[in-house]
Amino acid sequence: MSEAPDLSEAEAFAAEHALGVLNARERAEAEGRMAREPAFAADVEAWRERLAPMANAVVGVSPPHDMWRRIERSLPANDNGVVQTRVRFWRNSAMGGFSLAAASLAAVGVLLAQPPTVVTKMQPSPQGQMLNASIISTTDKDRTVPLFVASYDPDRKAIIVTSLLPEGANPQKVQELWLIAGKDHPRPLGFLEPGKSKVIPVEVDMAGKIAAGAALAVSLEAPGGSTDPNGPQGPVVGAGELSKL
Amino acid sequence: MAAAATTPDILTALMSRIAVGDREALRQLYDATSAKLFGVCLRILSDREESEDVLQDVYVTIWRRADRFDATRASVMTWLSTIARNRSIDRLRARGPMAYAEQVDELEIADGADSAETLLSAADDRNKLHGCLSELDERTEKVIRTAFFEGVTYEALAKRMDAPLGTVKSWIRRGLAKLKGCLQA
Repeated sequence: MSEAPDLSEAEAFAAEHALGVLNARERAEAEGRMAREPAFAADVEAWRERLAPMANAVVGVSPPHDMWRRIERSLPANDNGVVQTRVRFWRNSAMGGFSLAAASLAAVGVLLAQPPTVVTKMQPSPQGQMLNASIISTTDKDRTVPLFVASYDPDRKAIIVTSLLPEGANPQKVQELWLIAGKDHPRPLGFLEPGKSKVIPVEVDMAGKIAAGAALAVSLEAPGGSTDPNGPQGPVVGAGELSKL
Repeated sequence: MAAAATTPDILTALMSRIAVGDREALRQLYDATSAKLFGVCLRILSDREESEDVLQDVYVTIWRRADRFDATRASVMTWLSTIARNRSIDRLRARGPMAYAEQVDELEIADGADSAETLLSAADDRNKLHGCLSELDERTEKVIRTAFFEGVTYEALAKRMDAPLGTVKSWIRRGLAKLKGCLQA
């Protein structure tokens, strides 16, 4: 092979990062530069493309049959990808008129403090099956924009809820999560934090009531939550029915 | 494996569906790519159980990060295999210093050139890279392959080869420059 011109210092560093010879400190430096310098990031990507055929040349081996089930079980809430994209979109969006805060929390004053009507066709969930709900704004007539997404994991006896509201939204109020099952009064499950994901353990007697057809709702309450034993005191901002994957 | 259904365009379309939370698309991507990625994990880790754990982690990572995939900057297969390689190397490093005890000369370097089944139409690229790597001097080729499949740092390579750090670094940098020239030719 004829002599090739030396790589520039920046490209050599990019190539070393793609190859994987950098130590932990240098790797962190390279990742930082990728985030800040598009040209450097492009160099790293180009080198990954150049070297990737080495990996693609590895002989394929079929993974065990239950692998897909393992993966599926460990996926976060079902529309996680949507959540990530939307959260980023909303955070970056300067369009006040369409921002989530304006669409939901600011409009809360005009909402009736009335729990949503929910069809109650109870089916016990088979062992291990996740249930999911998108908690949609009660003002959203098109029912397209969830305020929260929730999954119930029967194995962990816990509800995993991700709030899609902007962080720090409406700090004077707390958001309380409710379970509405059958003809029972709404039962409080816990509090949510705007912009955060939360794992809320569910008490055993409550877990028995969580099934496809039950619903989750979120109300806005004064700090400390509703003191009414029969349900929310503040306005219900969103609700959604639990269903199987 | 249906070769016709695994063209880069189809994989790219699957990625955009995964980015908006389509589980069925992830399933299809899994069917099309899991054997290749499992092969990468096994090649790096040489341990079936660990490779299974890493593979599971790889697809969960793909699910979480699909919205960051940029088809204008990388091909799907490269993006996927980079995740599989990085996760496997992380796992390898977590085993501790013993992972680096092997000598370079004793490493068996399988390049899979005899693989009858190639995913995607990557065979040309692969053969070209293979050809260019084999044009390097044997030592440099080995060092580059070892670094790629084991994430061995310059420091560890220098120790293994009992050569000064600066020397190993210049072998690799010169090798990479030659590689680039050869691939462009």
